[in-house]
Amino acid sequence: MEIIQKFGLETKLFLFQLINFSIIVFILKKFLYKPLEKILDERKNKIEQSLRDSENAKIALDNAGEEAKKIIATAKSNADKLMVSIKVSNDETKEKAKEEAKQCSEKILEDARCKALAEFEVVNKQIGKISIDISSKILSKILSDLFTDDEKQKLMLRVLDKMYEKNTN
Amino acid sequence: MQISPDFLFNVVGFPITNTVIATILTDVVVVVVVVLINKEISLKPKRIQNVVEMIVDYFREITKSIAGEKASFIYTWGVSFFLFILISNLVSQFPGFESIRFHTASSDNDGVPLLRAATSDLNLTLALAVLSVIATHCVSVKYIGVRKYITKFVTFKMFPIFLFVGILEFTNELAKFISFSFRLFGNIFAGERVISTIYGLCSFVLPLPFMALEFMIAFIQAIVFAMLTMAFMHIMTDRSH
Repeated sequence: MEIIQKFGLETKLFLFQLINFSIIVFILKKFLYKPLEKILDERKNKIEQSLRDSENAKIALDNAGEEAKKIIATAKSNADKLMVSIKVSNDETKEKAKEEAKQCSEKILEDARCKALAEFEVVNKQIGKISIDISSKILSKILSDLFTDDEKQKLMLRVLDKMYEKNTN
Repeated sequence: MQISPDFLFNVVGFPITNTVIATILTDVVVVVVVVLINKEISLKPKRIQNVVEMIVDYFREITKSIAGEKASFIYTWGVSFFLFILISNLVSQFPGFESIRFHTASSDNDGVPLLRAATSDLNLTLALAVLSVIATHCVSVKYIGVRKYITKFVTFKMFPIFLFVGILEFTNELAKFISFSFRLFGNIFAGERVISTIYGLCSFVLPLPFMALEFMIAFIQAIVFAMLTMAFMHIMTDRSH
């Protein structure tokens, strides 16, 4: 009893402290921990959500990068193919144009040759005719003094026949 | 200086001591903190919310990692003990404690201190110890059931070994009242005595290191009380124990 008195233990004071702290615990639980827990959980959820979002964004970014790489690779291969096909078609076109030009020039040459040949024929014939005319005129002039008209006629015919034969050969 | 708190006056038959006034002062600080936090609570914490949030979150997370689902009940007691004891110990470092004197009919010429650290009163530390032990046993009954709780103290399995173990457990529970109350009371009371002795020797500069030590003790005692309560709560709710 003496020790209890020395330490100042008193029922009223003890009960006051007991009730006082119980009230404090009640106040803290109701007005401090509850709102703080709510805020802490809310913040935690927000942070987790943000982390998830950033993770998703990172994955999306990686995917986009991969996709971009794929697209670039596809575009590159397409461009290469296109270049090859363009080169091929260019060569083909060149070759075709060359061939066509060659054919065209050969045709022109052929036509010109034919034309020249035909003209040569015509000219040849004309020259033949002219030369026959001239020869006949020269011959008739030369023979008019040497032969009679009848002999002249026969000779002329023979000469002309021979010339004609020569020309036709 | 006496160990017991100094009687100041009576209010409707209730004795008001200097530690009762300090307790009320602690209550006021706690309520002000609660009101301030509730007033400006937001997702982006400011000043006081930041500090209290840090304490609450630390206790909550540490309890969650050890006690799991029981954490929501256990940690609130831990934080309550911590905050109340810490504020009470820190408030007692304010100027005016021990130095403001109050004259009563029975006091001498110097009078008695108007304010004295609340935790230097055994009535408060014992009340805290009793509440800690009661809360521990309540949480034990809540989580492991009445039958399992009783078998912690009284069992006839492997008679008489476990019966003896039960008696030891019961003694251990009784010892908690003494260890909890006297540890806190002894540390704070001794600290006060040291500070007042040093003030008696020299009032300037010399008390500073001792005051710093008192700040440290204030924090250590608060965390020891809170951690022990939470540890006992966890042990008492452990089914395998």
